[in-house]
Amino acid sequence: MKKNLSLIVLSLSLMVFHSCVQEDHYDNSKQGNFEALWKIMNEHYCFFDYKKGELGVDWDEVHARYAAKVNEGMNNTQLFEVLTAMLSELKDGHVNLSASFDFGRNWSFYEDYPENYNDSIAKLYLGHNYSIASGLKYITLDDNIGYVRCESFVEGIGDGNVSSMLNALANCNGLIIDVRGNGGGQLTKAQTLASHFTNKKLLVGYVSHKTGKGRNDFSTPKAVYLDPASDGFRWQKPVVVLTNRAVYSAANDFVKCMKLCPNVTIMGDRTGGGSGMPFTSELPNGWTVRYSAVIFYDADMQHTEFGIEPNISLAMSGADLAQKKDTYIEKARVYLGGGK
Amino acid sequence: MCKGLATVVMLLLSLCVYGQETITLPLNKESLHSTMIGVGGANILDTYLSPYNYTGTDIRIQRETQRMTTLWGGRVSNQVLIDVNGAINKNHVRNIKEYAGGIRYSQGWFYQFAGGNTVNPVERSSSPWNLAAGLAASGYLGGIYIDRSGNNPAQAKADLMIDMSAMATYDMVIAKHHYLWRYQVSVPLMGIAFSPNYGQSYYEAFELRHHDHNVVFAYPGNMPSMRHRLTLDIPIRRTVLRVGYVAQFNQSTFNHLKYHSYTHDFMIGFNKYFYRR
Repeated sequence: MKKNLSLIVLSLSLMVFHSCVQEDHYDNSKQGNFEALWKIMNEHYCFFDYKKGELGVDWDEVHARYAAKVNEGMNNTQLFEVLTAMLSELKDGHVNLSASFDFGRNWSFYEDYPENYNDSIAKLYLGHNYSIASGLKYITLDDNIGYVRCESFVEGIGDGNVSSMLNALANCNGLIIDVRGNGGGQLTKAQTLASHFTNKKLLVGYVSHKTGKGRNDFSTPKAVYLDPASDGFRWQKPVVVLTNRAVYSAANDFVKCMKLCPNVTIMGDRTGGGSGMPFTSELPNGWTVRYSAVIFYDADMQHTEFGIEPNISLAMSGADLAQKKDTYIEKARVYLGGGK
Repeated sequence: MCKGLATVVMLLLSLCVYGQETITLPLNKESLHSTMIGVGGANILDTYLSPYNYTGTDIRIQRETQRMTTLWGGRVSNQVLIDVNGAINKNHVRNIKEYAGGIRYSQGWFYQFAGGNTVNPVERSSSPWNLAAGLAASGYLGGIYIDRSGNNPAQAKADLMIDMSAMATYDMVIAKHHYLWRYQVSVPLMGIAFSPNYGQSYYEAFELRHHDHNVVFAYPGNMPSMRHRLTLDIPIRRTVLRVGYVAQFNQSTFNHLKYHSYTHDFMIGFNKYFYRR
């Protein structure tokens, strides 16, 4: 028995030693880094099918085209430019290459469009006496419309912050939530804010992730719901959400949720999109690559990667700008029964 | 490195097979307690976070309690092993840092061959060699964090396993002093382990509670792992100094995600025997 047990343990030990788990690596050459980047994207990026349909991007063809541009004689800056150009084919703000000397990106989702926001003018509406609840700046305008400026979802917005803010604005006839330029942050914070504008559980979309290296290896999409805030204040009056092309990522998801909430109207320009949750990886030379890895669909199982259309489209007026007025805010005030 | 260690394991286990003398020991109430701390190296791969190995320094603490039980006519010993480690690593170009660590609790029952006693072989066994083998229930909780970005930078590790384990002791007498060698190898046999799916975010798994093969059946085919412990007890007056070497090879291939954590630590600590009334 003693010998048998020893043999069993010995056999298991040998099996383990001959089963070393390793990953194949590319060498730290220019070609090796190019191949490593292409492979990481090939095995993990989640929008190849969608981008092929919308932009005509064929990732195999991209490989052939950009491989010809890489040679061992180029310097790191040149390699960085080629790799960034390759990633830019996907027109995805969540796809970035990061080195110590530069940050490769394609921000065409807002750079190619009118900004529809003027920070100096928007600040005139807040004045100097506004309040701040964990990054949410708010004030009651002189026509009794509440104005909330939400620049980012990076800060930890909690139910307590939102409830306190809404309680302070409770006497207002309507509410403007201005998310123009909000590039995202934490998805949970965006949903925390949105949860104060519905009284019932809402189906807001579906989510699906990669289940393997194949470009079509995806999980069955599962429903995502927005639960009403269980604690604190829930807003019952009309709301206008102001958007522009720089509304991206978690802010895009916020608009997606708010569009489904009652009494909420989305006004402005189409959002920038960014519906993929990003992951990161790295190249043999230590550069970091970020890519969209998880797809978030809307409630109709449609992509919002390239943005969400507003209920009411707006453009900033040059005449308003000349008078130091924000067209978006003024139109929203009128829509909510205020304005002059 | 793998083949070299395999040779060591084969040699040690083959030595254990020979030289046993059968003796009968009364049930006793003594227990062995040891605590060791050590430092060594770590090599970690987790393709959920990075396709590259991260290497660095590992720190380990082990707390062990062994005692004989009344099971099987007093031929079964019990071992409780608490193993805590933490590693600080960097990638191969040394520009990204990784923190990894965890705790494993293991409780095992060992059949003592030929009436031996691996708890206190110096006083309780007439043979210099003692061998025991058995099964252990073990649980691990740990994680890996890479300080590269804010999007999914961490990976949780957890398992509940049945391990097969064998231990051997050799009482080496030099100038009437007993120097006790102990060797133990443990191989996870089966159990369950946590893993995200290939491209699944932690937001989905924990915030939305969208589970997707996150609890997987683990066996040597997808979790080929083993843990080794070699120690030498050195009597110094009334105290017993313990020095040792711990090598752990933890691996898995769940949900198309590859993981390995190879650590080796040189340990030092003390032993103490206690007697219960």
